[in-house]
Amino acid sequence: SDVDPLRFHFIVHCALDVVDERLSNRSKGSSGGDSFLGLLYLSEDYRIYGYVTNTRAKLVLVDDDPEPKEADIKESFRRMHAAYVNAVSNPFHRSGQVINSKSFTKALLQIAEGTR
Amino acid sequence: MARPAKREVAETCFELLNIEMVRLYHEKDDTSTARAALESIGFQVGHQLAERYSMDRPRFSEHLDVIKFICKEFWIELFKKPVDNLKTNRHREIFVLHDNKFRWLRHVSLAANTPQGSELVARYLVFPCGVVKGALASFGVPCEVTADILDTPGSCSFQVRIK
Repeated sequence: SDVDPLRFHFIVHCALDVVDERLSNRSKGSSGGDSFLGLLYLSEDYRIYGYVTNTRAKLVLVDDDPEPKEADIKESFRRMHAAYVNAVSNPFHRSGQVINSKSFTKALLQIAEGTR
Repeated sequence: MARPAKREVAETCFELLNIEMVRLYHEKDDTSTARAALESIGFQVGHQLAERYSMDRPRFSEHLDVIKFICKEFWIELFKKPVDNLKTNRHREIFVLHDNKFRWLRHVSLAANTPQGSELVARYLVFPCGVVKGALASFGVPCEVTADILDTPGSCSFQVRIK
């Protein structure tokens, strides 16, 4: 579909702000916690979910499914996390830099298509 | 549907690589440059292993949880056994991890109780210090890690000083 990628950048940036807010609230209160942060916010046609790893990597999923199932979202995040770990384990990847890996992109596309 | 078997490599390959890595860096550079290089290689490896080994774990709530994870699950993945003893000071800024039979020293034949011997053996502990430092850094615990060889052969301790 011809959706403006800039719009997604904006959505994801807002999502990261929400994640940061949730994380700083969390640290004032309870113990440990889940990696899955749940629904971060809603934006016109999309539902935005968040996930944070132990290594403080933040994963954001933008979903346009009108009938979302939480189990599917969690499963997608699990697969995204696994793809991320594989991409970061590449010895040529430099920490903190953008991931430049065909297999990572392919894995993410498969996850995105799998939820259709 | 059968899962493909996890790819494995003989541990000897790592041990030989480790020996060669230490030799190479100490041959081409002075000791402090070599140590810095080995530590930074360890740092990157530790960072990447931390991502992988912490994947299925619930989130850590505080530094102590991270240290415990390093002493148990992380150590078991790397060294096939947990850390034998963990000590900390009152303010929990310094942790000492004690391993009675450190796996990467088990084939070292040189006695570590002579001054030259201990310097040589210490070279093999720089990389694991880097691994621990890199793993802790990836969990948001910046620190310095040093190692000491103890009297019993194969026994060593790692001091983690949280920054």
